[in-house]
Amino acid sequence: MRAYSHGVTTPSTPPALEITDLKFSYQPGQAWTVNVSSLTIAAGEQMLLTGGSGSGKSTLLQLIAGLLEPTRGRVLVAGESVFDAAGASRDKLRGRRLGMIFQTFNLLQGFTALENVMASLAFAGTPPKDQRPRAAEALASLGLSDINRPVEAMSVGQQQRVAVARAVVTNPALVLADEPTASLDPENAAAAMTLIQQSCKARGAALLCVSHDPAMADRFALRRSISSLADH
Amino acid sequence: MAMTDFVIITRSMRARRFSTLLTALSVSVAVALLLTLLMMKDAGRAAFERGSGNVHMIVGRDGTPLQSLLNSVYYAGIPRNPIRWAEFEKIRDAHAPEVPMPPGIQPGFAVPIQLGDSFQGLPVVATTEAFFTRFEPVAGRPFEFAAGEKFKENFQAVLGSRAARDTGLRVGDKFNVTHGSGMNGHVHDEFEFTVVGVLKDTGSAHDRAIFTNLTSSWLLHALDRLEREHGHDHGHEGHEHGPDGECLHGPEISEADLTDADRLITGVLLRTPTREGRDASAAMATVFTALRSDTSLTVAQPSQEINRLFAIVGAVDKILIAMASVVLAGSAVSILLAMYGSMDLRRRQVAILRVLGCSKGRIFSLVLTEAAIIGVIGSVVGIVLAFAAGPLIALVMRRQLGLFIDPVLPPDLTLLTMVGVIVLAALAGLLPAVMAYRTPVANNLKPLG
Repeated sequence: MRAYSHGVTTPSTPPALEITDLKFSYQPGQAWTVNVSSLTIAAGEQMLLTGGSGSGKSTLLQLIAGLLEPTRGRVLVAGESVFDAAGASRDKLRGRRLGMIFQTFNLLQGFTALENVMASLAFAGTPPKDQRPRAAEALASLGLSDINRPVEAMSVGQQQRVAVARAVVTNPALVLADEPTASLDPENAAAAMTLIQQSCKARGAALLCVSHDPAMADRFALRRSISSLADH
Repeated sequence: MAMTDFVIITRSMRARRFSTLLTALSVSVAVALLLTLLMMKDAGRAAFERGSGNVHMIVGRDGTPLQSLLNSVYYAGIPRNPIRWAEFEKIRDAHAPEVPMPPGIQPGFAVPIQLGDSFQGLPVVATTEAFFTRFEPVAGRPFEFAAGEKFKENFQAVLGSRAARDTGLRVGDKFNVTHGSGMNGHVHDEFEFTVVGVLKDTGSAHDRAIFTNLTSSWLLHALDRLEREHGHDHGHEGHEHGPDGECLHGPEISEADLTDADRLITGVLLRTPTREGRDASAAMATVFTALRSDTSLTVAQPSQEINRLFAIVGAVDKILIAMASVVLAGSAVSILLAMYGSMDLRRRQVAILRVLGCSKGRIFSLVLTEAAIIGVIGSVVGIVLAFAAGPLIALVMRRQLGLFIDPVLPPDLTLLTMVGVIVLAALAGLLPAVMAYRTPVANNLKPLG
């Protein structure tokens, strides 16, 4: 099946994500861990991908990010083929086109909030002189003022803002969010999702959020179950 | 500051600051140990090479030639067996006659010295004026006076530079010498010596000596002899004592009382005549053989004795340097272990950097550079420690052994050590770098616990 969004896709703007016949298994000969016949997310669109534990949601995100090699298939991010690029080129593509948000934030320990965001810009190829002002602006836009504190000294809420700023600061085509609210209570989870969705919208980034939290469904106009993406 | 690789590395090190500090410290201790040993090896030899200056031979009556050298030039001990003045005159007249030389020939010299007295633990050397005019403590660099001049009369003294600093004596000050040294000495309070000159630094053991003329020393010891022979006469007319019971009389002896038994020396600094511009002479071998025909004498050729000494000490040097190298290799292993031990934490950081777009090659380079930076920090701190240890060891050597050493870190050796340590550290970082390179990203992004 082919899932199309309600987003606006013009001929000059390639979809943020286009997956075709993607197959992956950890061991050859085993059942597919990821089996997606087709999935497209238009630029700026936000999609929720649901599924139970072990359904391959996180593995799919890692395949999209080019961190795993598929058995076969094709993934285009903003029109660029992830698997046609190899080695450092693929890493550069990931740095420029993708942002990632994790359940536990995965911030760089020993770095300040500003440095965490600057690291993202540095690997995306942003000129050195632009890194600091752009990182500071991204953090300020999310309401963080004490940006020179090491992240480990920050509250959970502040760390989450840093993680969101780091994901969107490069103006990526697509932000991948892997269970971003799994460790939060419902109230904070709602606040976190609002932050993520608004930030992506503000930056024009598409969002693919995977979650098994049913409460998330209302936040997304576009929802898919990972099992529905498989070819049968 | 932009987010450069250097910033990433320093932040990574900051996140593991305790482990990084300990590892760098172990490297710095190893570097300091190695450099200090290398520094002392060269400084020790240089110290021994200073002091004997333009002397060809040292004649004494010690157990071995090396002892003669150590006693007469480095004042390491007090010779027990004296040489009579008549014997000295015979040596002088035979091998360094004070007669006009043919054109193109530099005259030699025979400078007598007598050791046995001290002041505040510093050796008092009785000698002649020729010690200052003919003998050069460092070849080509004769003694120079910082203040005053050489002694001209009895009971005048010249201080070596460090002796002046240590005692606080200046030109015009007076002091009493002690016969012997340490606990066994007794103060010759019958005679006061007046400081008439202070020498400039020579960087040799002579800097910590006090020099008087031979006659003064002979008079002191003649008085001792007379008192031993006749007993101290406290009953003679006019004999008075001070509040502490000390005798308040002046010298009761003159040069006329000196006998051959008083006119003793403990060594001769000998230089044979040489052609102008030459340091050695063809006659040296003949003179050496002739002097050794008197088997009661010991004849030391400083350069040979120093070579002999360092041939013995050299083996110990090699062992110590080998040990320091092992410590250095051990510190490289400590880098490896510290980085390997932190791999669990590092894997998550590597995975995050990869997600942000960092390539595997750059990860490899970051870890390798971090190891090299630990090597840089360790070697820089080690060099500073070695710089600090040098003067400290020199002080101990001076106080304990009477050896003046001037520890200097040769720039080429220091640079070589630094480069070696950095390369070693980088090699130690190879395995952790490979492990970081091969870190699977997906597994290391999962929530902890």
